[in-house]
Amino acid sequence: MEKKQIKEPIRKKWIWIALLLIVIGNVPWYLPIGSYEPLIFGVPYWALIILAFSLILCGFLSWVTLKEWDIVEDEEEAEKRGRVNE
Amino acid sequence: MNDLVFAGMDGVLILSAYAIVMLLIGYFSGRGDKTLHDSLSNYYLAGKNLGIVALFFTLYATQYSGNTIIGYAPTAYRTGFSWLQSISFMTIIIGVYLLFAPRMYVVSKKMNFITPADWISHRFKSKSVTILAVVLMLWGLGNYLLEQLVAIGHAASSLTGGTIPYQVAVIAFVLVMLIYEWLGGMKAVAFTDVMQGLVLMVGIVIFLVGAIYLVGGDFSSATQYIAANEPAKLGVPDMMTSVNWFSMLLLVGLGAAIYPHAVQRIFAADSERTLKRSFSRMAWMPPITTGLVFVIGILGIALIPNLDTTGSEQLVGLMANEIAGINGFFYWVMIIFFGAIVAAIVSTADSVLLSFSSIVSNDIYGRFINPKAPEKKKVMVGKVTGVAAVGLLLWIAWNPPATLYEIFVLKFELLVQVFPAFVLGLYWKRMAAQPVFWGMLAGAIIAGVLTWTGYKTVFGIHGGVIGLAANFFIAVVGSYLVPLTVEKEAELKKIDLA
Repeated sequence: MEKKQIKEPIRKKWIWIALLLIVIGNVPWYLPIGSYEPLIFGVPYWALIILAFSLILCGFLSWVTLKEWDIVEDEEEAEKRGRVNE
Repeated sequence: MNDLVFAGMDGVLILSAYAIVMLLIGYFSGRGDKTLHDSLSNYYLAGKNLGIVALFFTLYATQYSGNTIIGYAPTAYRTGFSWLQSISFMTIIIGVYLLFAPRMYVVSKKMNFITPADWISHRFKSKSVTILAVVLMLWGLGNYLLEQLVAIGHAASSLTGGTIPYQVAVIAFVLVMLIYEWLGGMKAVAFTDVMQGLVLMVGIVIFLVGAIYLVGGDFSSATQYIAANEPAKLGVPDMMTSVNWFSMLLLVGLGAAIYPHAVQRIFAADSERTLKRSFSRMAWMPPITTGLVFVIGILGIALIPNLDTTGSEQLVGLMANEIAGINGFFYWVMIIFFGAIVAAIVSTADSVLLSFSSIVSNDIYGRFINPKAPEKKKVMVGKVTGVAAVGLLLWIAWNPPATLYEIFVLKFELLVQVFPAFVLGLYWKRMAAQPVFWGMLAGAIIAGVLTWTGYKTVFGIHGGVIGLAANFFIAVVGSYLVPLTVEKEAELKKIDLA
């Protein structure tokens, strides 16, 4: 059987660069201090920007966890199925 | 919080119900498993066989304590919108897990690890590194547990309006916790976490609904009030706060991910698929947990204005009071919610205690005192020491030392110093024991001294982070100075995956 390529997040540089960029955007150091207008549905504009970055962070990490991590999953699941079929 | 409208017998009733459910879950999870108490892995890690539901909820209920609600809402109240950081620093923990959990899971299964120190000891083969790491971990866990024990008492006594006095509340719930943990180990902890996590999630949502109802269903009326009265809480924070925000991301992210009880949940997963799916769901929890608590705190500014720092600590109770006054439905929901807060604190405390016991069993007794003892005996030693430690912590809680108080506040600051050894050691074969030891020690001392002398942050950066930087520097530079032997390199090939 052909040896399957394993996926480990630490080996993929782009994940960590993307994560760093999201985190940098997630802290409001680049916005004018003290400003809060316009208020959109009562929420300061900058809080919406930060919230958007926070949600991107959640989505990104959730997605990377599922898609870029696969080391022993296939073996384990195959083994489980084998046990069930015995 | 001594005059809650729902104080009294109704609160006692609900709290008793929670206690009974926890005991039942503990009893049933331990029953029928005869090998539970004979094996470190079975007792402390549920046989490394936790499925997706139990694993997800035990991760959730352990990470989010009742303290998250009681403490974070007042912080949002005092600091305003910059407390949005509580969403990101809880999320970033998953990012830090991704740095090491995938490989750590595989290695831990291969080597049958019980505690994080198993890994440290396997990797560095150095008594001094292992002992220092164990001390830092026990210290961090002990202080964390102390904080939770104190919080149980405050929450329970305020729920019952003092009908159950503070100390009785603590002892009652600590006993419940000790009993179910004794009976079922990690299984009991994880299964009670399912209940505790669920009520916490639902409780926060209903609390928020009540608070929004109180401001007339209109969030913007709250922010208009803040704009008119305290515009600083609405505006973009100053640079120092932003620096502090970055520092928080580092400290909480790195610290919380390598909490021993957090790492042990990686060991306890039944499969990689289960672990992945649990983490993937955990990544979405901060917006609906700390995010909602943040909104509650912001609404509090408009609902109950002008509280000073001490007064604001009572915010959740004060708001619960008003919400309970809306109608009978909210009245009962608020009692259940406050019970949920107590349950959620217990669910964090139980995991911390279990981890504490496992380190005593496996790393102190099993590694250094009596390595040849049967596992059953090691488990027993851990359990008994755990009970004794809780006793000691309660004594400290009720007789707080006049000085040295700050020592008991240090958690993340010290724990996070294990990070370089724990994570960098997983990938970097050159990393050597001696520099790791000195780095860890230096980091812990810097973090300890800075916090102790009142410099919790320097220019917004936490003492723990400054210590960590020194720690990394010493460990890395030092490791380059130590020659790598061929045997050592061959030995370390074992941690390679492919």
